[in-house]
Amino acid sequence: MIAENTQTQMRKGILEYCVLSIISRGEIYASDIIAELRTAKLLVVEGTLYPLLTRLKNNGLLSYNWVESTSGPPRKYYTLTQVGKDILSQLDQTWQELAYAVGVSQKGANS
Amino acid sequence: MEKTIIINIGNTIIHIEESAYELLKAYLNEVKQHFVNHADDLEIVTDIENRIAELLTEQLEEQKKQVVASVDVNAVIAQMGRVQDFDTVEENDEEPVSNTNYQFQAEKKLYRDMDERVIAGVCAGIAHYVNTDAKWIRVAALFTLFLGGAGFLIYAILWIIMPKAKSRIERMEMKGEPANLQGFQKNLDEELLAVKQGLAIAGKHTGSIFGQIGIFIGEFFDWLGQFISGTGKIIFKVVAGFIVLFGVVFLLSLIVGFAAFQGFWDSSVYEYFPFSIVDESNRGVILFSAFIVFFVPILALVLFSIRVAFNKQAINKTLSFALLIVWLVGVAMAGYHAAKISSEFKQHAELAQTADLKSYKTYIIDIDRSKYFSKEDSVTYRIDANQRRQIVTEDFENGPFVMPNNIRIDIEKSATLATRLTQKYESQGKTFQSALQNAQNIDYKYVLKDSNLVFNPRFQLRKGTIWRNQEVRLKLEIPVGTKVILKEDTYRYLNNYGTWDCGEIENDKNDYSTWMMTEDGLKCVAQLKEEAIKNKKLKKELIDLEFAQKDRTADSLYQDSISNRINEVKEELGINNN
Repeated sequence: MIAENTQTQMRKGILEYCVLSIISRGEIYASDIIAELRTAKLLVVEGTLYPLLTRLKNNGLLSYNWVESTSGPPRKYYTLTQVGKDILSQLDQTWQELAYAVGVSQKGANS
Repeated sequence: MEKTIIINIGNTIIHIEESAYELLKAYLNEVKQHFVNHADDLEIVTDIENRIAELLTEQLEEQKKQVVASVDVNAVIAQMGRVQDFDTVEENDEEPVSNTNYQFQAEKKLYRDMDERVIAGVCAGIAHYVNTDAKWIRVAALFTLFLGGAGFLIYAILWIIMPKAKSRIERMEMKGEPANLQGFQKNLDEELLAVKQGLAIAGKHTGSIFGQIGIFIGEFFDWLGQFISGTGKIIFKVVAGFIVLFGVVFLLSLIVGFAAFQGFWDSSVYEYFPFSIVDESNRGVILFSAFIVFFVPILALVLFSIRVAFNKQAINKTLSFALLIVWLVGVAMAGYHAAKISSEFKQHAELAQTADLKSYKTYIIDIDRSKYFSKEDSVTYRIDANQRRQIVTEDFENGPFVMPNNIRIDIEKSATLATRLTQKYESQGKTFQSALQNAQNIDYKYVLKDSNLVFNPRFQLRKGTIWRNQEVRLKLEIPVGTKVILKEDTYRYLNNYGTWDCGEIENDKNDYSTWMMTEDGLKCVAQLKEEAIKNKKLKKELIDLEFAQKDRTADSLYQDSISNRINEVKEELGINNN
């Protein structure tokens, strides 16, 4: 139970960082984000992504355009806003620090 | 084979099988429940719905199918993820909405349980709603039957207002199970179990007597319902057939009647009452419009009944529209003439004619019952009233085709000593002049022979005059002290005198009653006599009482009762107490 909880906390933060990173490479559709996450072996269901995207958008990190689709309703294509880009660069830095911290913690400072 | 439903999801129209629809609906309900406390629930759910629509459309295109099946929905759910999987990743500022919470939110609804029914599933439905065993509700229902049968009525009402639990979701709502996937699965499992058990029971030919009776009654009511709806249609058609039959007969008789009226153009029909008020020049038009006003609606009824009875459209739209126009024209014409005729009753005129009669001590007033015949009629009917004294008596009743033309007689006190008869002729007309002319055209006769005054019960209208509510009022003024003998026939023309009562007081067998003109108007002689006798008695009693009053002056009780009685007697005699 404790392990699960920690895993959940870790995945939460990383998922958000990964989604922002994927979007930063260019305009993208939600299901394509899922596909990318699958390739990256970060397994999530689509139902998880929509609330996350909505929250990021409402926080001003993302914006979207409606694009007509050949199958089904129009699609929302997401892009990063300037705020999003700034936050992403902060997160990049944080990630570097965390990776370093994890590396040091696991192998010791001297190795 | 399965029923399909057309749904609109994410602005996309999708055909979906019923079972798949229920699955999808359960999933979406679950999703909505999950995000219900979320700030952006509407946007998220819309995004998810749009994505589901897209996935379903893609699947249909890929598999070249028309209809979404349960398999496709399951695939979509797998891709979108179960609600439990959402929880682990997305951050929750609020308390997570747990599954046990939904169960309380799943609202129970009142449905008729068709699976566990005895008659119509009302009791079983109530049992689900209040969470008890159906048999207790049934026992209670049976008990209400003994309370004046009110339960029967209540059951019938509930049967009508409670809907059947038809779909699986409705059955789940009935049992209060949450309409989400777990509930769905549970329900499905239960159903499978029930089917298995049912098969087992059928195999062994056992089962509770209650269940057997239930099945029997249920089937019986099914059969009854089918029978009623089947025969109901037949009865409907039979009724429609009868309407067609009678309608056609009625239409034919209308045509015959119309032809008959037209044929007897100048004949006696117009002498009878409702037709006699119509001006000769307008008769054709009025008759024709009246014919249309009645004919067209009945024709329409017949045509409609033909349609009901034989499922055939007997007439096309243009023709029925034309019929409507014809009818409206007929109504307009009839209305115009009705207004025109009623305008002829607008003005009122009166004409009075006074004659002094020879004075007698007693008058005998009677009604001449012999029918009036003009000279021509007397010749045609070979009636010789003058020499052979042949008469034809007339009945007084106002039949449906008799022009209302009664006379009225009033007997009043004469201001002078002379006897005087005033005849007042009244009539309506379009203008005052025509009203007066109509009044002047009244021909009324009475005969005074010695002291016999014989009135005609009816007046005649001179040739060429039409009925405009003409009336004759006779006022007979006689001096005080004159006796009047009223024959029985006159009673109906003399209202407000209590004539029948007077006749009875006098003698039942008499066909007349005797009256006397007093200062207070006409009084019944027999009644006056009775009153005189009574007064005499009272006066005698008064004298006796006044004499008795002088006795026993000390006894106040006695004195009081005596003086009370004196007052009563005085009052009856009309003596002023003061």
